[in-house]
Amino acid sequence: MKITGVEVTPFLPPAGGPKSHADLHRGAARSASCVVELSTDAGLIGVGIGSEEVREPVHRIATALLLNEDPRGVTGLWERMVNGESRSGGGRPRTDAIAVLDLALWDLKAKARGEPLWKTLGASRPRVNVHVGSPGIPASDETLREWYGTLARDFGFRGAILRVGGDPEADLRRLGLMRQALLPHSPEPALMIDAAECWSPKEAIRRVREMERQFDLTWVQEPARRWDFLGLKRVSNGIRAAVCAGAGLATRCDFLPHFHHRALDVVQVAHGSAGITGALQLADAAFGFELPVAIAPSPGNFYAHLAAALPYCMSMEVVDPHAVQGVFTTDVAIEDGWAVVGDRPGHGLLIDRDALTKSSIGRASGVGRVA
Amino acid sequence: MKITGYRIEQYLMKMDRAVGDSNLPEGVDLMPGSILFLDTDENVTGMALGYGGGGVATLFKAIEGADPQEAVGLWIKMNDWVHKGGNEGEANAALSIIDVALWDLKAKIAGEPVWRTLGAREGRVKAYASGLDYCLSDEELFAFYRRMAELGVDGGKLKVGLDVQADLRRLGIMREALSIASAHPQLMIDSNEYWSPKQAVRYIRKMEERFDLVWVEEPARRWDYDGLRLVSQQVSAAVATAENINSVADVYPLIANQAVDVVNVSALHSGVTGCRQIAHLAHAFDLPVSMMNCQANFMAQIAAALPNHLSMEVVDPGREHCLKFDNRIEDGFIMLSEAPGFGIEVDEAKLAELKANPPKGKGRFPFPRREGAGRYIVPPAPEEVPWRRGP
Repeated sequence: MKITGVEVTPFLPPAGGPKSHADLHRGAARSASCVVELSTDAGLIGVGIGSEEVREPVHRIATALLLNEDPRGVTGLWERMVNGESRSGGGRPRTDAIAVLDLALWDLKAKARGEPLWKTLGASRPRVNVHVGSPGIPASDETLREWYGTLARDFGFRGAILRVGGDPEADLRRLGLMRQALLPHSPEPALMIDAAECWSPKEAIRRVREMERQFDLTWVQEPARRWDFLGLKRVSNGIRAAVCAGAGLATRCDFLPHFHHRALDVVQVAHGSAGITGALQLADAAFGFELPVAIAPSPGNFYAHLAAALPYCMSMEVVDPHAVQGVFTTDVAIEDGWAVVGDRPGHGLLIDRDALTKSSIGRASGVGRVA
Repeated sequence: MKITGYRIEQYLMKMDRAVGDSNLPEGVDLMPGSILFLDTDENVTGMALGYGGGGVATLFKAIEGADPQEAVGLWIKMNDWVHKGGNEGEANAALSIIDVALWDLKAKIAGEPVWRTLGAREGRVKAYASGLDYCLSDEELFAFYRRMAELGVDGGKLKVGLDVQADLRRLGIMREALSIASAHPQLMIDSNEYWSPKQAVRYIRKMEERFDLVWVEEPARRWDYDGLRLVSQQVSAAVATAENINSVADVYPLIANQAVDVVNVSALHSGVTGCRQIAHLAHAFDLPVSMMNCQANFMAQIAAALPNHLSMEVVDPGREHCLKFDNRIEDGFIMLSEAPGFGIEVDEAKLAELKANPPKGKGRFPFPRREGAGRYIVPPAPEEVPWRRGP
């Protein structure tokens, strides 16, 4: 099997709930995304979804390094892409482009075997512990209550994460609201908070200790800057909760100081930068250090396929538990607080052509033949 | 598809030549071997090569009736299964051989070689020659490395540790033999945990006065991360170790304490799955790994898919009499075929013959440690090695 073409279609996801964090109180505009499709001479198409920024590097990398290659050699192709681009610069769009292409390659590898991705990855228990993501800071108390309450009732979430870092008193009050919303469905809900790097390490210790007088926190996400392994470790030493970070880091190499200094208690893996291959590498490294892995949100929660194959996955964040999500559908179902992967070949994200056309911004661009 | 049954064959093989190291300089030519067959309800059989096998009966209960495609999930289940007793000895041998057979099945089901199932781009792995050669005469030593150099192999690893002058002479012989493959052959040495850390430093520094060594293997005990780090800090060569550990959990203290520069990996480290975990952990620290030698070089299938693999140890002492395989060494690389799974078939008639009439020869399992190890050196006696016997 050979890769014969690549096509990128940019689109604007449908408006969902407010998205914001401590740095963006008023919320951000919807960010443009794109669908990346790799075609093959076998008629199979591999799909990846990423931010619109990856369009240019996706074209460049796929054209230079993937055309005429066998997608089943995906871990080798990951190295080829990482090494081929090692001196090109380009920052996040470049690493994110590699991750999107890696996802499309794994999709092809699983489709070539006629099986779901979790099976290609060798998983045997397709059930992943999940928690519900935060609606963001501009949500009113009422919206917050409604968000956690409805999702816990309908999907059985036993854990949730709250964006914090604005007004300390509001954070405490809203943490209480979140807990109350989960209580009817779980006697001891897992409570997480996400500071999105807005605190200094000592500020984090003061704030978290105050929260811990009232609440038992499972983890604190990004309580210091992503690269500040000394600060992250300091926070971990100063609070009861685990320190979770990593989604903001671009590559495996960025984790070296965090591992070496044991600065993280929970290692966060994000599809946008790690793809599948990079995530497998990171998760195995974390396992070697006996550190559990947290999975960042992913389109259609497809990352449940990966999570099911990891030896030490703690919980996956879900921000949209529904099967139909704008331009695609997913066969990852959220039931009773677990993600359950389906049996569609590949990662299970199916593009809805009509919806994509309607949401499309600008024309699709591609090279080679796309079936 | 379901796993329905298994057959484990334990047998004794006589190699075409003896192999020896600092703990057994006189060498052995008998080796125990095991072959595991995992049966399924769909007429595909998984096969794995390994050692031991006594633990398979217990561990098989964990995977009976399961889908063999789910190799990673079953690895987690087996790892949890042996939790209290620990993944050591027979438990690790059993876990490893079962995991290898599961990956063989996973690849065979897709009709592809294991290297492709694991995602490698090509079935090609750089090789280095390893004579396990303390029992070889100087002439035999030269002949072994020259034969490998003629296949393009440009690296060699010499067994050392008991006699620094002899080791220096033999390093020169190895370099000379390899010089037709490269003007600067890669030279490695292996003392198999015979020295204390400071003994290692004195010995290696003396060798480094004359030779540029790429790595020194097991210059201290496998678990002694302080000693291994001390050696690494005090010699120019890299410290290679980890071939005698069980799993990624044992590599953690070595890496966390900067005690290893090259991680020796193998399928005996909790199978294909465990081996890949170790390589990924090493990769996160930008450390290379090197695959251990094995029958039919089957572990090259795994090495081909590791992102940080350096080169694989090739011994080729002639220990595949009951196996058929078609990988070969060309231009210094192990070239793997497109044959499904690990690409190895068992000659059942030959295996039955070996079991019915076990060969006679020199065997010393389970490979004891030599007198003086870690304290003082006991040089080989003339009756132990040919190179002490004179012309």
